[in-house]
Amino acid sequence: MKGVYALYPDGASAQRAVDNLRREGVTDSEITVISSAPMEDFEFSHIGGKNRLWYVASLGGAIGLILSTSLVVFMERDWAVNTGGMPIVAWWPNLIVMFEMTMLGGIFATVGTLIATSGLLRRRPPFYDPAVSDGMIMVGVEAPSAQAATAAERALPISPEITLKTI
Amino acid sequence: MRATENTMAADLLHPLLNTSWRFYALVIAFGSVVASGLAAVSFQAYYGIGVWGIHNPIYWGFGITNFIFWIGISHAGTLISAILRLVDAQWRRPVTRCAEVITAFALMIGAMFPIIHLGRPWLFFWLVPYPTERLIWPNFRSPLVWDFFAISTYLTGSLLFLSLPMIPDFALVRDKTTGLRSKVYGLLALGWRGTTSQWHRLETAMQIMAVAIIPVAVSVHTIVSFDLSMAPTPGWHSTIFAPYFVAGAIFSGIAGLILAMAFLRKFLHLEKYLHPIHFENLGKLLLTMSLLWGYFVFSERLVVWYGNDAAEMPVFWATQRGLYAPLFWTMVTCNFVFPVIVLSIKKTRTILGCALASCTVVLGMWLERFLIVVPPLSRKYLPYTYSSYWPTPVEFTILAASGAAMVLLYTLFSKFVPIIAIWEMKAGEHPSPELEPVAQQERRLGETHA
Amino acid sequence: MAHKWGMTVDLDCCDGCGACITACHAENNIPTVGEGQAARGRAMHWMRVESYWEGEFPDVRLKFRPVMCQQCDDAPCEPVCPTYASSHTDEGLNAQIYNRCIGTRYCANACPYNVRFFDFFNPAWDKPLHLQLNPDVSVREVGVMEKCTFCVQRIQAGKIDAEAEKRDVKDGEIVPACAQACPPKAIVFGDLNDPESRVSRLSRSPRGHKLLEDVGTLPKVTYLERQTQV
Repeated sequence: MKGVYALYPDGASAQRAVDNLRREGVTDSEITVISSAPMEDFEFSHIGGKNRLWYVASLGGAIGLILSTSLVVFMERDWAVNTGGMPIVAWWPNLIVMFEMTMLGGIFATVGTLIATSGLLRRRPPFYDPAVSDGMIMVGVEAPSAQAATAAERALPISPEITLKTI
Repeated sequence: MRATENTMAADLLHPLLNTSWRFYALVIAFGSVVASGLAAVSFQAYYGIGVWGIHNPIYWGFGITNFIFWIGISHAGTLISAILRLVDAQWRRPVTRCAEVITAFALMIGAMFPIIHLGRPWLFFWLVPYPTERLIWPNFRSPLVWDFFAISTYLTGSLLFLSLPMIPDFALVRDKTTGLRSKVYGLLALGWRGTTSQWHRLETAMQIMAVAIIPVAVSVHTIVSFDLSMAPTPGWHSTIFAPYFVAGAIFSGIAGLILAMAFLRKFLHLEKYLHPIHFENLGKLLLTMSLLWGYFVFSERLVVWYGNDAAEMPVFWATQRGLYAPLFWTMVTCNFVFPVIVLSIKKTRTILGCALASCTVVLGMWLERFLIVVPPLSRKYLPYTYSSYWPTPVEFTILAASGAAMVLLYTLFSKFVPIIAIWEMKAGEHPSPELEPVAQQERRLGETHA
Repeated sequence: MAHKWGMTVDLDCCDGCGACITACHAENNIPTVGEGQAARGRAMHWMRVESYWEGEFPDVRLKFRPVMCQQCDDAPCEPVCPTYASSHTDEGLNAQIYNRCIGTRYCANACPYNVRFFDFFNPAWDKPLHLQLNPDVSVREVGVMEKCTFCVQRIQAGKIDAEAEKRDVKDGEIVPACAQACPPKAIVFGDLNDPESRVSRLSRSPRGHKLLEDVGTLPKVTYLERQTQV
């Protein structure tokens, strides 16, 4: 099965469900919490939060800087035309072009990494319930092992209105 | 709380799901103005720049004025979205997307002008550095090539800055609609689910983009100002142009944003989401920028007047007392006198007051661009070549069409994408009372809900 | 040693007859834009004669100054061209390469002397006037900038002839159209790198000054004018 989950009406009940799951021995990397808005006031929002996007952005910027410097220096030398007595490799103007391409490198690196690592560009979200768009918070375990599945079945129904669902 | 959120989502999705006759009327009206502008541009590309009013020595007129003006308007999004996001100002939430959309479309419109004002516009791609069999590269020393890099970086960055936060909203529309609409929005949503790791990555990416886009925005209008200040023309060759233009851009951008928000509030019935406090805050920003603009104009003109340079004084007097004086004093009234009065007094700093001040600022800033570009060219070094500039109907048509294009694009955008970021509004809602009690004594300025 | 082409214009000789303007038009295939366009300020006179009135009645003087591209060594029009259409040659000329020009007109705005002109429309010569076109000079199409080239076609022809005859270019051998047509011979052209050439000697004259020298463009045209205490 793709996963087992339940829908919760607010952040507090979702937090209780997550804590229950942890008590039943499910690790954070197995827990999936899906909401229609980031809920940073709750602890569960930090699951899967570590990312290295800042380093990627800096790396992208560095690549942009190297590419742009090569572009301007080599092309100015390649076509060495005297314009108004300015030096052939004119650093003041070059800095402007280098700056722009550095920022562009950082921007592309960030967006590319975001799309690549967020699981975007998949045809159909595999483990998802459209009720999330009505404000429900979905807490569950995606592609669970047998042990995690039984743990989830015990942990998720925290009150009578919460029904367990499987995909 | 879910009920409030769902009402909010329903309200903000209403323009996407229901079309009134006003939408069609707007599209047809502004679409025809845009069409006539396209016809004017084709006419001019076919016959030559001679159908415009420019002549020796005033070789730049409306074309460059409009270019600088629209790039200036585009600074709205960056200030509101990026800076307010970085300082975590909560009142930005309803206005970020309105602002980012202005940036994206104003940039697209502005970027058209350097192409259409070329003598041989079909060769505009020669500004792009790419290996060609002609074996020639663009001249990196030219400010126009810097323009190419700056505007393409800013446009790319702004479009991405606009599109990334649209993804969760597209997912929302995907879930709430059926049929073809659901499929199309599903494609646009790129398979977004809303897992905690996705939210983290999106928010981090937005922070990075905000940090990246602010220096790019400052550099873009600085580089646009370099189009003028790199030439030794009296009245252009001024070191103050770089910060002067950036301040003017932010100024006109905020005015454009206030106007857009005022119209959206009225036409899309967003009174519950765009509150008077938002307009008040933006009005205070507009007031600050108006004072800053006045400071820059005063500094620049004081130095010119005090220096009494033989080449610069004819330009100075032409704008102060001569041919261009009516435009100059209109500009001062529109940019400084009227906004400072209206926006300083709390009683007049209403939505209507801010909108009126923004109208005059938009007009005044266009006049300012015109007065920076044309009078120095009309009074260059050799008095034998002094001249004056009179625009033609073709140029007016193109100017009107650029404004109409902005309105048209904006109207179309608000039909297909929620103009207020729904997930950002939800994220700004108060969290669970158990975790963070509602502040009892002092309300934070500009709460997202009453 | 490489050539460095320069020019002197003797303002004390110039009588404002305008023969230089006509000769330049004829030599360089410059279109006449017509009455209407000229009234709109679009006349393309690569060489123009500026007239200035000086003094109060009855001591009024009319002074003439032929102005053409000064071929500046520190030309402000060159760095600003995005496509290298305006660049500096090894012989000190500011080259305008029509094929590269996309018509941004930035160079014309940067030029302090206003000596750059733009083709606002496609030039046309009604038959049989098309027969007068100089085959050594290209005809420019709409949307490109053009300006005085010191009759570079004549310079090239002179250099080719000299090389064919295995000798140096003689001073006075290359004569631009304006210098050729000038009745009082006010315009002198030659190699500034040759200290004995007529143009070098005249450039060193105490009567010599440069136009807008304080702008720092290092122009290569020297104007000779008797300075009087007024």
